[in-house]
Amino acid sequence: MSSKPSPSLTRIGDATVIRDEDTSNPIAVRFDHVNKTYKLFRNDKQRLLATFSKRVKYTTVNASDDLSFTCKRGESIALIGDNGAGKSTALKMITGVCFPTSGTIEVHGRVSALLELSAGFDMRLSGMENIQMRCQLWGLSAEESKALIPEIVEFSELGKYIDQPMRTYSSGMRARLGFAFSSSIRPDILVVDEALSVGDRKFSKKCRERVHEIMAKEGVTVLFVTHSIAMAKEFCTQGIVIRKGHAEFSGEIGEAVDYYTAQ
Amino acid sequence: MLLSVIKENWRWRHQVWNLAKIDLVKTYRGAALGKVWLFAKPAVYILVFWFALEFGLRSSSDVNGKPFLLWLAAGVFPWFFMSGMITTGSDVYKRYTYLVNRIKFPLSLISTFYTLSLMIVLVCMLAFTVVVAACFGIFPSVYLLQLPLVLALMFVFWVCWSMALSPLSAISRDFANLLKTLGTPFFWLSGILFELDKLPHVARVIMAFNPVAWCAEAVRDCFVYEQWVWADYTSFLPFLAVLVFFVFLAMHNYRRLYMEVPDVI
Repeated sequence: MSSKPSPSLTRIGDATVIRDEDTSNPIAVRFDHVNKTYKLFRNDKQRLLATFSKRVKYTTVNASDDLSFTCKRGESIALIGDNGAGKSTALKMITGVCFPTSGTIEVHGRVSALLELSAGFDMRLSGMENIQMRCQLWGLSAEESKALIPEIVEFSELGKYIDQPMRTYSSGMRARLGFAFSSSIRPDILVVDEALSVGDRKFSKKCRERVHEIMAKEGVTVLFVTHSIAMAKEFCTQGIVIRKGHAEFSGEIGEAVDYYTAQ
Repeated sequence: MLLSVIKENWRWRHQVWNLAKIDLVKTYRGAALGKVWLFAKPAVYILVFWFALEFGLRSSSDVNGKPFLLWLAAGVFPWFFMSGMITTGSDVYKRYTYLVNRIKFPLSLISTFYTLSLMIVLVCMLAFTVVVAACFGIFPSVYLLQLPLVLALMFVFWVCWSMALSPLSAISRDFANLLKTLGTPFFWLSGILFELDKLPHVARVIMAFNPVAWCAEAVRDCFVYEQWVWADYTSFLPFLAVLVFFVFLAMHNYRRLYMEVPDVI
C-alpha cells in the first residue's frame, strides 16, 4: 500500500517520536520521560505575536510531566486517573495527533483510537461516505474496504440512515458508527477512551463484547483510559495510575486500583 | 523539509486525489442541481461583469482581436480559483478540523488537496471556455499549449501560500480575518477587470510582484494576448521570485508551527 507510513523517527526539539509497524517488537508503546507543555496566552493576539517574537509572555501547563511507562505487546493496560490528570493527552500522543515537548515516545504497530467517538467525521457527508473516506485514510485498498464496509454498517445498526448526511444523526448514532469503524479495522494497538458507554445498554454490551473479542485476538495491545474502576478491572490486567501528568504507580490492575482508591 | 513534504505528498497521492473529489462533492451536497452549482457562480459573475462593463460603463472593447467576453472569462475564472485560495485556502485547518486533531494525517496534505479541488473546477471552467469559444469560431492558438505549465506554477504557488498562512490563521483569528478582508481589494487591484498595460509605470512595477495579477495575466496570455508567459521577463522573473519566497516561507512556517496547530485548533 502506498499509504503505509514507513518507519519514521521524528525529532522535534528535545522530543523524539519513533513509529513503525514492527509487530514482532515485544514492546508496543513506550513513554520515556515525556513532557507535554501547553502554552497559555492571555489572548489570540499574544499567541500570534509569540510566533514572531520570543519575548511574549505566557504561562505553561504540563499535561504530561516526566511521564514514563512501557506497554508490552498483547497486554491490556488501564490508565487510571482523575479528570485532568493527562490521560487523554497521553493517548493523543500515542495516536500521533499531537506531539510531545520533550522525551521519547515509541509506538510499534498501527494505532486505532476510540477517542471521542462522534468526532472525526465530516458532518456534511453521509455515514457511508465518511466510512469510505476513513478506510482510505487508514490505508485500505478498494477490495479490503469493500469487504469491511458491510461489516461496519451492520455493527453500527444504522440501517437506512447510513446514506443520510451525518449532521442529521443523533449523537448516539454518530458514536455507534465511530465505534464500529475504529474497532473493525484490525489495529495492532487499540486505544479506548471512555468509549464503552455508547448508546443504550444493549449496544454498550455489544461494544464490550467486541473489545473482549479484539483483546482475545493474539497480539492486540489495548490501552484503556477510564476513571471507572469496574471497567478497568473488567478489561485490563495491568494498571497505571496517573496523577498530574506523572505515572505514580504501575503494576497489576488490582494493586493499581487499590493504590488509586487509597488516595 | 521541502523534500520530506514532497515525499509525504507522493506517498499519499491517492488519498489526496480522493479527498479533493470529496471536497467538491461536499460543496454541492444536498442540492438538486448538484454539480451545476460548482459552475453557476462564476458563470453568473461573468454575465454580470459583462453587462456592467458593456452597457453600464461602456468600457468594453475587443482585446487583441478577441471578444471582450473571452478576455473577461480568462481573467475571472482564474480569479475564482484565487479568491477561494485567499479566503478559505489560507485557513484550511479550520475547514478540516477533524483531520488535524482527530485522525493522524499529515497537515501539508490538507493544503494540497484543497488547492487541487479548486484547481479541478478551474480546469473545467477553462475547458468550457475553449469549447464555447470554438463554437463561435475562435479557435485556440498554439499559445494554449502553455496552459498546463501556467496551471502547474499556479498550483505550486497557491499550495505554498496555503501552507505558509494556514498555521498562522489557525493560531490567530485576527490573521484569518485579515486575509478574508484582503479578498476583494486583490480583485480590484490585480487587473482582473482592467488591462494592466494601461497603468502608470510605477504601478506596473509593483504589480509585477503581485502573484494574483501574474496568474490572471498568464491565463490571458494563453487565450487572448497570444504570447509566451516567459517572453515578458519583466513580469515572469518577479513572479518566480515571489514563488521562491513563498516556498521558503511555507517550509519555514510549516516546520515551526505544525506541531502547535493541533494544540490550538
